[in-house]
Amino acid sequence: MIAQQLLNGLFLGAVYSLFAVGYTLVFGVLDILNLAHAAIFTAAAFTAFSLSMAGVPLPLALIAAAIVAGIMGILLDRVAFAPLRARNAGTLVPLISSIGVAIVIGAVLRGIYGIDERHFTTGGLDTAPAIHAGPLTFTIVELTIFLSAIALMLVLSWVLRSTSLGRRIRAVGQDRIAAALLGINLEATVAATFFIASALGGAAGVLTALRYDSITLDMGGPIELKGLAVIILGGMGSVTGAVIGGFILGAVETLAVVFGLSAWRDAILFGVMFVLLVARPTGLFGKRALRAA
Amino acid sequence: MNRITASALALIAVVALAGAAGKSVHVGVIADVTGGAAVYGTPQKNAYDLANEDVKSGKIDVGGANLVFDVQDAATDGAQVVNLMQKFSTDGATPIVLGPTLSGEAFRAFPIAKNANLPVMGTSTTAEGVTAIGPSVFRDSLAESQVIPTTVKRTHDKWHYKTAAIIFGDDNAFTKTDGDIFARELKAAGVDLVDTETFHIKDTDFQPALTRIESKHPDVIAIGALFPEATKIIQQAGKLGIKARMMGGNGLNSPEMYAVAGPAAQGTVVGAAWFSGAKYPSNLDFVKRYTAKYGKGPDQFAAQSYAAAQIIATLVKGGATTKDEMAAGLRSARVIQTVLGPIGFDQNRDVKSSPVILSIVKDGFAYFH
Amino acid sequence: MSALLDFYAKHSRLIDQIGVNAILALSLSVSLQAGQLALAQAAFMGIAAYVSAILALNAHWPLPATILTAAIVSSVVAALLAYPVRGLRGVFLAIATIGFAEIVRVIANNLAITGGAEGLSGIPNDATTPVIYGSLAIVAAALFVLSRTKFALAVALVREDEHAARGVGVDVGAIRTYSLALGGAIAGLAGALYAHASFFITPADFGFAEMEKILVWCVVGGVTSPAGAVLGATTLSILPEAIRFLADYREIFNGIILLGVILFAPGGLASLWRRRAVRP
Repeated sequence: MIAQQLLNGLFLGAVYSLFAVGYTLVFGVLDILNLAHAAIFTAAAFTAFSLSMAGVPLPLALIAAAIVAGIMGILLDRVAFAPLRARNAGTLVPLISSIGVAIVIGAVLRGIYGIDERHFTTGGLDTAPAIHAGPLTFTIVELTIFLSAIALMLVLSWVLRSTSLGRRIRAVGQDRIAAALLGINLEATVAATFFIASALGGAAGVLTALRYDSITLDMGGPIELKGLAVIILGGMGSVTGAVIGGFILGAVETLAVVFGLSAWRDAILFGVMFVLLVARPTGLFGKRALRAA
Repeated sequence: MNRITASALALIAVVALAGAAGKSVHVGVIADVTGGAAVYGTPQKNAYDLANEDVKSGKIDVGGANLVFDVQDAATDGAQVVNLMQKFSTDGATPIVLGPTLSGEAFRAFPIAKNANLPVMGTSTTAEGVTAIGPSVFRDSLAESQVIPTTVKRTHDKWHYKTAAIIFGDDNAFTKTDGDIFARELKAAGVDLVDTETFHIKDTDFQPALTRIESKHPDVIAIGALFPEATKIIQQAGKLGIKARMMGGNGLNSPEMYAVAGPAAQGTVVGAAWFSGAKYPSNLDFVKRYTAKYGKGPDQFAAQSYAAAQIIATLVKGGATTKDEMAAGLRSARVIQTVLGPIGFDQNRDVKSSPVILSIVKDGFAYFH
Repeated sequence: MSALLDFYAKHSRLIDQIGVNAILALSLSVSLQAGQLALAQAAFMGIAAYVSAILALNAHWPLPATILTAAIVSSVVAALLAYPVRGLRGVFLAIATIGFAEIVRVIANNLAITGGAEGLSGIPNDATTPVIYGSLAIVAAALFVLSRTKFALAVALVREDEHAARGVGVDVGAIRTYSLALGGAIAGLAGALYAHASFFITPADFGFAEMEKILVWCVVGGVTSPAGAVLGATTLSILPEAIRFLADYREIFNGIILLGVILFAPGGLASLWRRRAVRP
């Protein structure tokens, strides 16, 4: 049972990580919490659903939906954050405008798709062949999701580490004014950051939808708050930290159940987060990790 | 002269018979069409919209009255539920209110109706104690406490299971009640409860809990959930190769169960208040027309709302237009024909009807034998 | 006069909600004034709501005693919370306090005395409009008096520059603890009133969604002033009912209004007022 539970936690953690990476990237660069990240996560899942209904193969639908999510991220920045950035409105006000955008996205999705749960297939997950490897049971879909999440995070890590765009993003994250003085186009870099962050969040949405073969208006709800816990566990602004934080979250949630404490699952999760935050306010990796990455 | 008198008398008789003719009756409806409970409130709104059409077309006979179901969205927000109930209590034009969607909302709003002497009828508020709030609080929905004991008894008689596990949502009044009653009834039946797992509403991953349940090898898994979570629990149990039989309550009585959960759901037993295939005169017609209008079949939320509309229509046809007449009409109602079957109310103002025990088959529900 | 009474009869519940929400917004504005983005107000509210409801239901305490006890309890909890989070600032403090609030909610979900998810029903409905607005007046007056003291000066100093505050001998830790405890007491007062104005409470009433609402009220009204907090709570409590005629478009309009206000008046509604007031 323990082996299966660890696998459950690993699969769960991969998607948490992917979601949190985008969450933390925006925080690392702009010092704002983007509460519309979960809404874009949901919107991407619906986009992929529409594409797949139109006959687009799923892998292509995933990529296209992630790109749509990325573009939504850029729009989100232009609408909700850029005007406030120009007016130096601090970190609290953008938080509220992102809530406003999240409400609008949710209302538009409800208008288009209605309230019913949508599915990529009609037969359900159990029609996908399950693989039994020793004590483990999983599906091809789950394995593909897991590998896709890992691949996307590796790509992000490479972009941040080894490309000139990555260097620009890190420079802006470190010191916006100094970066501007060095001739870095601030707004273009911010737009790129939002594209990457939202595309990854969108990919996480599509992968979550695929894993459970379920797309609902409120699928982003539970992950919104847990995403906060993840980026704290790893250290705000740290991409590596968010990845590890995601896996820790998956493990904590699963272990809570293993020990028969499912009723206290969220309290344990947030308890761990609280203690960690108090003991080590910068998290496991701290914000510096992004700058050094 | 004679002829005139005769026709005058006939006219009076007609007016007396059709006491409702020409009268306007405005029924308030509170439903969560948006927000977290929209999946339950929207079928309710759909059912009332259909009922409004049926009243206009004469399919629902209201004796010529102008009966309207005014559906207002409470957005799954307790404050809005309260404000709507106060609006309906004070507008001087509403003789009865149907809804709200959730039991917690009913506990907040029904006392306001009680103070205003306004009769109310819940159609999905199944928690214990709801009808005890006031002397004019009714409901046409069977409580879980009326459904689950029969479900446990019938499955136990058939399957003779020795061990069971329960999985239920612990942050929702409905699913929490489910969990409690399943535990009570299973123990009473002498079944050994090997594991109890909880989840939160809107969770999507149940594999850790199911893996743990499976490690205890129960014969039966009792599910205290509403259909959005129940479909995923059953799907994921299927994926993990869990062979234990499954059962649940009212929350599982939705077309989603067989449409979404697929083959894994087949054989799952559902104790419920309504069967979509029941051959009551109006039921098959309701299911057919609802499906045609909305592109998917009605669930129990829709059926109980449509039944409430039929109950009100019957009262209005009998001449009830005021608050007191509505309350008196419901109290004295013995047998009203609805999509739920012929129903009335007991002295506690709860619906008098027996649960149906269903089993999920390939493309729908069937009676469990 | 009768028109006024009629208006009250129709809208008394909304009027009461506005009063409670205004007190909640004030409670958050107290910690925001001290530069602390502490987002556990909904939890303080919940703790007090349960304390006062349980005292009323099980021990039959009178309203004033339950309210007072509840406010004291939540204030003490807030002060105790202030100790471990003393080293945290900004969003780190925000997230730690959100985590604390989630733990409180899970505990309320699992205790027998709170009724868990089934909630507590039948709470005496004795927090009348005069009681609620009397409480609001007392809170507002107390905050006004406080704003004229050295304490307020120290709070402002801590908000603007902690190092400078330490330099002139202000005990920063104490100021932060006091302001969190004061915010906790006020949120507790609101929570007790909420319980006694709603018949019913359940843990979900005090979750992150409620906290998000309180924060939105404060920011939309204007974080820098208590008047802004009250204005924000009032406006946004009325909004959903005021735009009911929009039917299916209500939800999206709600979001657009929120976005519009924030973008056009990042300083909040109160800043518009002030801007106009300065004009000759």
